[in-house]
Order: sequence, then structure tokens, then C-alpha cells
Amino acid sequence: MTHDTDVLVIGAGPGGAVAAWEAKRAAPELDVVLLERDARVGTPVRCAEGVGDAGVREFADPDGAAWAARKITRVVFIAPDDTEVKVAERDVGWILDRTRFDAFLADRAVAVGAELRVSTEAAGMTCEPDGRWRVRLRAAGGETTCRARVVIGTDGVEAMVGRWAGLETRVPARDMESCAQYVVEGIDFDPDAIYLQFGAGIAPGGYAWLFPKSPGVANVGLGLVALKADARNARQYLDAWIARRYPGGAKTACTVGGVIVHTTIRQTYTDGVLVAGDAAHMINPLSGGGIVNAMKAGRLAGCVAAAAIRAGDTSASRLSAYHAEWMALLGDDHLKYYRLKRALEDLDDQFFNSLARTVNAIPSGKRTLGRIFAHALVRHPQLIPVAARFFI
Amino acid sequence: MTPAPAFPEIAVVDLQVCDRCGLCLPLCPPAAIHLDLTDLVVDQTACTGCRKCIAPCPVGALTMVAA
Repeated sequence: MTHDTDVLVIGAGPGGAVAAWEAKRAAPELDVVLLERDARVGTPVRCAEGVGDAGVREFADPDGAAWAARKITRVVFIAPDDTEVKVAERDVGWILDRTRFDAFLADRAVAVGAELRVSTEAAGMTCEPDGRWRVRLRAAGGETTCRARVVIGTDGVEAMVGRWAGLETRVPARDMESCAQYVVEGIDFDPDAIYLQFGAGIAPGGYAWLFPKSPGVANVGLGLVALKADARNARQYLDAWIARRYPGGAKTACTVGGVIVHTTIRQTYTDGVLVAGDAAHMINPLSGGGIVNAMKAGRLAGCVAAAAIRAGDTSASRLSAYHAEWMALLGDDHLKYYRLKRALEDLDDQFFNSLARTVNAIPSGKRTLGRIFAHALVRHPQLIPVAARFFI
Repeated sequence: MTPAPAFPEIAVVDLQVCDRCGLCLPLCPPAAIHLDLTDLVVDQTACTGCRKCIAPCPVGALTMVAA
């Protein structure tokens, strides 16, 4: 059985749901289908669930929303030697309930007329002579095919759509972080703050985090570069970290996953195909955050796809506008963040311990990023080449 | 004629199932599992068949096969 559609979005995470919503809003006469491999949008959660305040507000109002688990107003950086540095005291961000948030975004796409199909996995795709893509779909009832004018790949770290379309979606091993996370209950922390700890013995090449979900309950996890790890994996590093910092906590709901800390793939489009979000490596390579990035890219992809179909031209040259818009919006910034990440890798635990003490010497009310940066450059000349690599 | 395998069984990764979470990488004593760009691969000449990677895989992507 073959079904025709105008836009086929593969993967109903935040990027895919926003892409489907925007495509349908931009061109209501188009058929838009949103596919989800799992039985329910938003599960399983494989995410630390943190987003910036300004970023999420571009898409929905978090105040009082059921999908916003916790408002965050402080960030606590913890040096390898456990020196704590508080750096912000304002509207920092939110910890989401991704199960509800993803469902909210998908429902919004459905409300404007997109069709959501769950428990349906894309199994492969080929390009037809007329330029449409024929996508094989696997569901409980068997295999079907769907022909689409534009396929939007928002299929996450596995990034199969990009690969089927011939795009280079692979990354070097040193830019893949191996992550593990538990929901930990019954522990003591400031429920308005997120905590981030760095250290070669804690999370080599990455960091450990605590993101509050409610008082006493938090997402506690870490990401590391497997190439830099000792004989333990991310879950074992995390068990050790929790045992040391939160020994009384009850660990539930362990999740693991790979996070790509690279830069946007060189080409995010080809004839009739756009890829967005994690699938196109649109993750902040410093923080590993990707939810808002995926939504921003989904918005661009949905709008470009709709306009291209209306104009009757879904060629790569027409769709390249999407890539250019993404690079101007965030992609070029990620190139700078990536250079900074690589430069920071050369600094050791002792440096971060002493940097934490330098920053703590600044009165907390005056701890702006600019002042921290200026102090750090003066007291720690080894940062100068790092700063230089950030700006060139 | 191919030489007799050094070990009776070796690990293989099913890339359709693998999540690329990387949990298996540090657990491999001979470091036979690699990320070949984003694909996990087992170096069949280095795998000793120790099975240390099998149980920790959260999605069951690693299995033992006859060498």
C-alpha cells in the first residue's frame, strides 16, 4: 500500500513536532505526516531535560505549563576539588517534563492538521525519477510505503534519514559523548539551581550534572568521552559520583545514550530532504544541549519545505536556503563553541580548581560573565590561547 | 586456507539496534570495540570473546557469534 504526502517528518521529538507544525501553518493546503517509532510521543525520555528561558519562550510559554517541571534561577559550577561557584541569579531556564513537552508539541502539530502516526518506523528510502522520496514504513500491521515531496529527518543521533539520503552524518569518536543518567530521589540540593561538575576523574571530556525536577528529586547524570575513560563506562562513573556526592539517594529510571558534541554537518539538505536537530549535529558542543536548537531548526525546515513545495521546486539548490538560515542563526556560533571546547580540553583539573577560587574572589553580585572572563584572563595566562582560539 | 580462530566466539554489534551510547567501549579489555566515526565496530582480530561487553549493553545490540 502506498500513501502520498507532501511533507513527511521522521521522528516526533521537539524538532520534528515543530517542523510539522510550522510546515502546516505555513501552507495549510499541504499534507504533513509526522512519524514516531515509539508507541507514545515523549517516551522513553533520554534527556537531562534542561532548556534556556529565552529559547523555550520562542515556542511556548513555560509559566504554569504542565510540561515545565521546574524553573531554574541559579547555576552552580563545581570544580574538580568540590569548590562551588554560583554564577547567575536571574531567569536561567527550565527543567522540562519531556514526556509531556514532546506530547504538547506533537498535539499542537495535530491541532493545525498534521497527521501523527505512532509505532511507525522508517526502514529505508529511495528517490523516484519524479524527485519524490519513497519511504518504507514498518508498523505492527506490516510494511507500507509513503511517497513524499520533502522528507524532514529529525531522527536523532542514529540519523538514518541523512544517511539514506547520502549526507555525511557520522562524527569522529572523540566528539561522541557517552551519557548515563538516573532520576534520583531523596537527596538534598537547592531546587532552584542546576549543578555542573567537571573533572578528569569525574567525567573525562564532559561533565556531571544535577537538574532538579522537584525538591529532593533530580535528573543526575554525566557525559564523558569514552576514548578518555579508564576501564569504567559512563554508568560506572555516574554510580561513583552519586555514591560520593549523594550517598543517601534512591536511584530510579536509568537512561543512557550518545550525545554528539560536534558541529553542524557540512550539508543538511539534498534534493527533497532536510535534516534537523541531533540528526544534523545541531547540538551546542560546549553544553551538549540540543532541545531548543532542534526546535529552531525544525521551524526553519518546516517553513523552507512548505515554501519549496508551493513553488514546485524541492531541489537541493532551493532547499539550501535552510542550511544558510541555520548557519546564520546558530550553526556558525557552534563552530566557535567547538573551538573553545577543543581548547578547554588542554586544561587540567588543577587549572579549574584555581579558576574556581579566582571567580569566588569576585563578589557574587558582580559575577557577570564579562567580569569573570576578564579576571580569569589576568590571573590565568594559560587561558589566553584558549580565548584566542575562541575568537579566530 | 584460513588460520584457526584464536578464540571460539567473538562479539558483534547489530547497528540497527545499537544506540551508540558507548557504554561498552571502556569495558573491553583489549579495546577491540571502536567508534568508527559514529558506528560501533568490533575488531574481530582483537576480540578475545571475554563477553564483558554483552550484559552492560542496554539495548542488547551486542551478541556472541562463532569466530
